[in-house]
Formats: sequence, C-alpha cells, structure tokens
Amino acid sequence: MRLGLCVVAVVFIAVALASVKVYAAQEPGPGKFVLDSKLPSMIKAGVGPVVFPHGQHQAKFKCGVCHPAIFKDKAKANDISMKKNMNGEFCGSPNCHNSPKAFPLFQCASCHTKVDVKGKKQP
Amino acid sequence: MKASSTRTLLKVALLSLVAVFGVSISGTFSTVESAAAKKGESASGTKAEAATVDPSDSTSSIYLDTSGKLAGVGDPNKPASVAWKAGRGWHPAALGSSKLPRDRYGLIDWAKIVNDKMIKPRPSLDPAEEEMDPLDMDVLIEAKGDFVDDVIYPHKIHTYWLKCEVCHPQIFIPAQGQNNMTMVGIANGEWCGRCHSKVAFPLTDCRRCHSSPKKPSAKK
Repeated sequence: MRLGLCVVAVVFIAVALASVKVYAAQEPGPGKFVLDSKLPSMIKAGVGPVVFPHGQHQAKFKCGVCHPAIFKDKAKANDISMKKNMNGEFCGSPNCHNSPKAFPLFQCASCHTKVDVKGKKQP
Repeated sequence: MKASSTRTLLKVALLSLVAVFGVSISGTFSTVESAAAKKGESASGTKAEAATVDPSDSTSSIYLDTSGKLAGVGDPNKPASVAWKAGRGWHPAALGSSKLPRDRYGLIDWAKIVNDKMIKPRPSLDPAEEEMDPLDMDVLIEAKGDFVDDVIYPHKIHTYWLKCEVCHPQIFIPAQGQNNMTMVGIANGEWCGRCHSKVAFPLTDCRRCHSSPKKPSAKK
C-alpha cells in the first residue's frame, strides 16, 4: 500500500518536471525587444522607443492569446501605432491595455523609454 | 512503570488546568457582577439627573448613546441619529446603481447628462453671483505625434461647469499654440491632467479627446 503510494508520487513528480522542461524548451521567446520604427514621430511627441518585455507577457499568457490574431509572430510585420492602439488593435486590444485588466494607454512611461517623466511645462 | 507515571503527570496537569480555568471564570463573574452593580448605581444617578436635564444643552445625557458618546451632531436642533449623518455622506455606490448614462468604460457621462438636460445644476452656491453663458468655441489642438488623431477641445462644456479663471492663465495660456502640452505631462497631472483623471473623466479613453483624424497631407 505504502509502496504503491510512493510509486504514484514519484511518477507524478517526474511527469510534472518533464512537462515543465518540455514547455520551457518549446517556448524560449525573444526576451525583450525594441520597437522604434516610428521613432521620428515618437521624438516629436516627447517619448523614446518602446522596449517590449516579451518575457513578462509570456510568463502570464499562452502564445495563442496574442499570436497570430493580435500580433503576427514575425519581426517588423506589425504596423503598430498609438492610433491603432487607441482604436482597439495591438496593445490596445479590448482585453489588454484598453481595459481595466492592464495599465491604461496614457501611462506613456510604462512602455516608452527616454520619457521626460517630469512632463513639466517648458519655458 | 514509566507509562503510569506519565499518566499521573497528565492527570495532575489536567486538574491544575481545570482549577486555573475555574478561578479565572469565577473571577470574571465577580468583575461582571461588580460592573453591573456600578452600572445600576450610575443608571439611578442619571435617572435622578434626567428630571432636571435641559434639552437645549447639547452635552446633556439625552444626546449620548449607550456608550456615553455623542449620538448626534452636537446640535439639539438636528436629529441625533447615525442614519441622519450617514445619509448626508457621499455615495458612489448609489450613484453607480442609478440609471445615469455611461461612457464605453462604464463611467458616468456627466457631459451627456447636462447636454440632455437630465439635471440642471445650480450655477453657484452664491445666489448673488452672475452666471456667464457657456463659450461655444472649439479649439483644434494638433497631436504632436504623426499617428495620433488631433484633439478638438470644446470650450462649451468646460465653461458650462467652470469659470474662465479656473484654467486661464495659470494652467493654459489663452492663446492658440502657446501651450506646449505633452501627453506625458498630462498623464503626470499637468494641463488637462490637472482635472482629468482626478475630478473629471479619466484619460483612459484616448478617443474621447483625440477625435479629429489628421489630414493625409499633414502626415509626413
């Protein structure tokens, strides 16, 4: 009886470990990457390029949540702009940064780098 | 031998526990009794006072609750009840369950409410104050980025609620193109962010302000 329980436990743990390893091996992910195709416009608006933390998103969601319906999984294949985000595409999809589930689009400094965080009036 | 000695030890421990418990209980009983006795004394004392109590004195015992604290608002002319106080409080929950129109983020759309004349707020608490008519002037504010729609700023609804001096000239210089606004600054509480996201609707719905598409020629 005891032996049987032990065997079951060992098998369970082994399977769990193996599946975690397989999952990790399948999804290495691109880590962080820079989005700067619209840099001249960003500079005009007083912000810098976006550094997208793919790892943070990957830790919370399965690939299919975003790919390929919201974002094509290919570099430079998505023409992301703030206007499209506002209109409910890409980052601003209705369940993402255009909803109470994630921080809102107006928090510029949460995605854009080199933001003048003070945002004070210029003389 | 060993087992029996542990048993006796256990018994002794149990007995002593029971004894301690009993003493503590009787102790509490006696304190309760004495407290009750004291209460009785004080109650009879208040009864004696009640005959001579002055109802216009807000500190008199008739305005106190059972724990001796002031039950009302300290004013004998106003009802001395917690409900009265609570009823005057701010009730966002009650507002939420009202049938007021909402925007697409579920927030109450106060602009629509006054535009549709569902409510007619008093212009000022001061009846002597002159009410100015709203200024019907839309201002086009070009978005700095190339990919974001421009903003049409409506003076009308703002001057419906507010006086000119609320915004001009401290927050906005009253001349077109003179205010170097940025979305970063607004999100950090400058310009529009002085009110929006605080007392006015939040910045969450970009398109509520960024509503006028840029002309293709303006795009670089």
